[in-house]
Amino acid sequence: MTLQVTAESVVQAVKEKTPILEYYSPSDRRLYLTVAKEAIRTVADMLFNGLNARYLISSGTDRRQTDGYFEVLHFFAFDRSNLRVGVRCLLNPEDLEIDSITSVIPGAGWAEREIQDLLGIRFVGHPDPRPLVLPDGFPEDLYPLRKDYPYDYKPPLDPNKKFPFKEPPADTTVVTVGPFFPVLEEPSQWRLFVDGEVVVGCDYRGFYNHRAIEKLGDSVLTYNQACLLAERICGICGCVHSTSYCQAVEEAAGIEVPVRARVIRSLILELERIHSHLLWLGLACHIIGFDYGFMQSWRIREPIMWLAEYLTGSRKHFSINLVGGVRRDIGPDQFERILSVTGQVEKQFLELVEAIEGDTVLRSRLEDVGILTPEEVRKMGSVGPTARGSGVAIDARKDHPYAAYDLLDFTVVTHDGCDNLARTLVRIGEIFESLKIMRQCVDLLSELPEGELLGEIPDEIPPLKEGMHAVEAPRGEVFHYVLTGYDNRPYRWKVRAPSYQNIQTVPVMLKPGTFLADVPITLGSVDPCFSCTERMEIVDQAKSHSYVLEEQDLIDLSRKRYLKLKEQRGKAHDQV
Amino acid sequence: MIKSKIKQLLIGKQAGTVTLPYPFSPRPSEPGYRGRVVVDTDKCVGCGGCADVCPARCILITDESPFIRIIRRYLDRCIHCGRCEDVCIYDAVHLDGEYELATTDRSDLFIEQVLFMGTCSRCGRCYIPPNPLDRLMVVGFRKDEKWSGQR
Amino acid sequence: MTKEGFIRRFHSKAFGRSLWVFHTNVGACNGCDIEILDVLTPFFDVERFGIKLVGSPRHADVLLVAGPVTVPMMEPLKRLYEAVPSPKLVVAVGACAVGGCVWFDTYNVVGGVDKVIPVDLYIPGCPPKPEAIIYGVALALGLVPKKVGPVRAGHEIPPELEEAVRQMTLARQLSEVAQASDTDPTDGSEQGGLK
Repeated sequence: MTLQVTAESVVQAVKEKTPILEYYSPSDRRLYLTVAKEAIRTVADMLFNGLNARYLISSGTDRRQTDGYFEVLHFFAFDRSNLRVGVRCLLNPEDLEIDSITSVIPGAGWAEREIQDLLGIRFVGHPDPRPLVLPDGFPEDLYPLRKDYPYDYKPPLDPNKKFPFKEPPADTTVVTVGPFFPVLEEPSQWRLFVDGEVVVGCDYRGFYNHRAIEKLGDSVLTYNQACLLAERICGICGCVHSTSYCQAVEEAAGIEVPVRARVIRSLILELERIHSHLLWLGLACHIIGFDYGFMQSWRIREPIMWLAEYLTGSRKHFSINLVGGVRRDIGPDQFERILSVTGQVEKQFLELVEAIEGDTVLRSRLEDVGILTPEEVRKMGSVGPTARGSGVAIDARKDHPYAAYDLLDFTVVTHDGCDNLARTLVRIGEIFESLKIMRQCVDLLSELPEGELLGEIPDEIPPLKEGMHAVEAPRGEVFHYVLTGYDNRPYRWKVRAPSYQNIQTVPVMLKPGTFLADVPITLGSVDPCFSCTERMEIVDQAKSHSYVLEEQDLIDLSRKRYLKLKEQRGKAHDQV
Repeated sequence: MIKSKIKQLLIGKQAGTVTLPYPFSPRPSEPGYRGRVVVDTDKCVGCGGCADVCPARCILITDESPFIRIIRRYLDRCIHCGRCEDVCIYDAVHLDGEYELATTDRSDLFIEQVLFMGTCSRCGRCYIPPNPLDRLMVVGFRKDEKWSGQR
Repeated sequence: MTKEGFIRRFHSKAFGRSLWVFHTNVGACNGCDIEILDVLTPFFDVERFGIKLVGSPRHADVLLVAGPVTVPMMEPLKRLYEAVPSPKLVVAVGACAVGGCVWFDTYNVVGGVDKVIPVDLYIPGCPPKPEAIIYGVALALGLVPKKVGPVRAGHEIPPELEEAVRQMTLARQLSEVAQASDTDPTDGSEQGGLK
């Protein structure tokens, strides 16, 4: 697994299999290859299985205006070698078909379906070529991400077309969770196939939240406007997206960011990680019926939010990044408050963790539920605490240092329990690490001379240059790819959020035999959307009548299990 | 198990009541909070720089006639990023700490600004002379017709 | 009685005691959802006013909507609105729900909750602070006065120029009308040459 590779060795290895049409390597950490489209499956197999690369995402671009073709780009990362590779295939607009790589890399399933929806490129041999992103009934011959599609054209939808859900296995009941979501996050719909109280399979329909962000960034907004748009991709980890986007543009345009700005970015990113993990911990407790944990962790979290407001001017959507640097300085008069808040949070959180770690009922709800093995992590390309909870130590902060992380000292928290408890413990450990990093950032800032916060920006960002960059978000690795364009705006901007890969692992984690009551916390443990618990529709096929369960019922179900376990524990205790 | 529950109780006891008395006593936001958008019409020269950088594209500029420019800010979709404040070289836009902006009518979130501008005799574009005295003299007639024969 | 005064009196009658809130997300980024949850937590604790999040629209008095309403969420939102028993209040939280935020005009976004269902209260902000949400609810209940209003400011037009301004504005509007009729919107040419 810890095979060291370089750009040259990857080129050599690919050359042995198939001729490379073109390649270039802007730095020793980046490599772009162009191969014939017939060879893409071979190359993907070689990189993924032969060289142990991690699959990132696939992107498609309509480059008919500039070069007269469509392109498909698959991205891979070599974590131990700090190398990222883009494999490009050029497609003639007359013949938009290419071999699917999903059979080799299961985690590429969604990315290919997305390109199929938005650009009209067909993937031959895709095991599940249903639509993914666009609303039901969207005209089949319209592809929004093509350059001749106006960003604000809303075509009439065909009301008769419904999403083709999978047929449930025989003798099972379908439980629909969603799309009305609930407590949090984006709407999505899960169809669970249950037999009695045990889940035997599931199907997913999401992307109710598709807001055409990439199209807006490609065709309307300028580089700096798109930076603020990137921040609004997610309300919990927005700064991560804007940092990643800015770094991709900076890489493409060759902008040097001042050290002070890089340290401030790291500080704000860690602030965001703490607030996000505390939030997750609270919600996870809420879902399994342990409201005490919810209230306490949100109480501890609130001073962090006030600190964010004090440092950046907003509680969320800090809007602190711009292409080239940051907008606000953090001065010596602010250090004291950062240190006092981090100290206070660390003390209170440690007390809370000590108190609840002995809670055996809580443990039993998390232990051995939602098992995800390291092999499955690699196959599905999951990232962040979901992967680290299975003992896979991937962390963009360590593997591909960005911002000021090369100047900072921290450890990557991993746990090899592979279950919901392991993922919880990883997040708890990361909160303490983040507090440590924040204090180091303050030390660095006090040593650094005051100075420019924005790097030198050229008069014009050169068109058709590529940049890709990843940032470790609270949920995993955020990946942005930018192809610079004309008129002060990106030509193509591709975003890969961590949940994109992590949600795909949920069907893997819902192994046959999972209790229905354990579904919410398993969904929750990848930190995707608690939304799913909102409303369930139970269709009993045998009796062919249906009734609707609300979020409350599902949570009640989850809580009943908590109480049942408590009783059992109590009895066991008495016997001892 | 019991030890854990006792510890949990102690934490709650230790923290006490933390609820803020907010709606009954005012609670100012932190310095530097980006809240309500305030425009100082005396300072604004109508350059339109803010409209160029607004990500939400909520600042719209219409030139009603050669010497009247109307700047409309639809603050209902304003994202309070403060970029307009950053780029304004005359400090005419400011985001203050006021956050109590709720309203029953969407049209309350609207700023309309009428600027009476001079017109550049060369390019025909509007501008506001920074000095009020100049503003009195140049009352914004486009000189194109008058000078067209002389060029 | 003004419309607003009537609404306020009606609200204080109909929603006198405790408000049960159903919170929904129709495409928001979660920023607003978290702030809405935040008002339930110890520092803000709206339950002291009897406000409670409920799990079903049929139990709710107030529908709290966050998000710009994406196209696939339009129908579910309408159904949700119908499921809430009358009298009901609809509160739009955040720049997305109020006016559509950055993506107000893209191909998959309707842009504002009031384009789909009637809205009684708007709480702008991206996202609004928890305090701002509490203030909004207090405003809906008529406990606090409204603080914002449309601002119309600018220079006075000198009286001797008023006539000239009027004519020029008219001329501009006429030329716009003429241009609009030149390009007939029904032939689809305005949609950027879709093929």
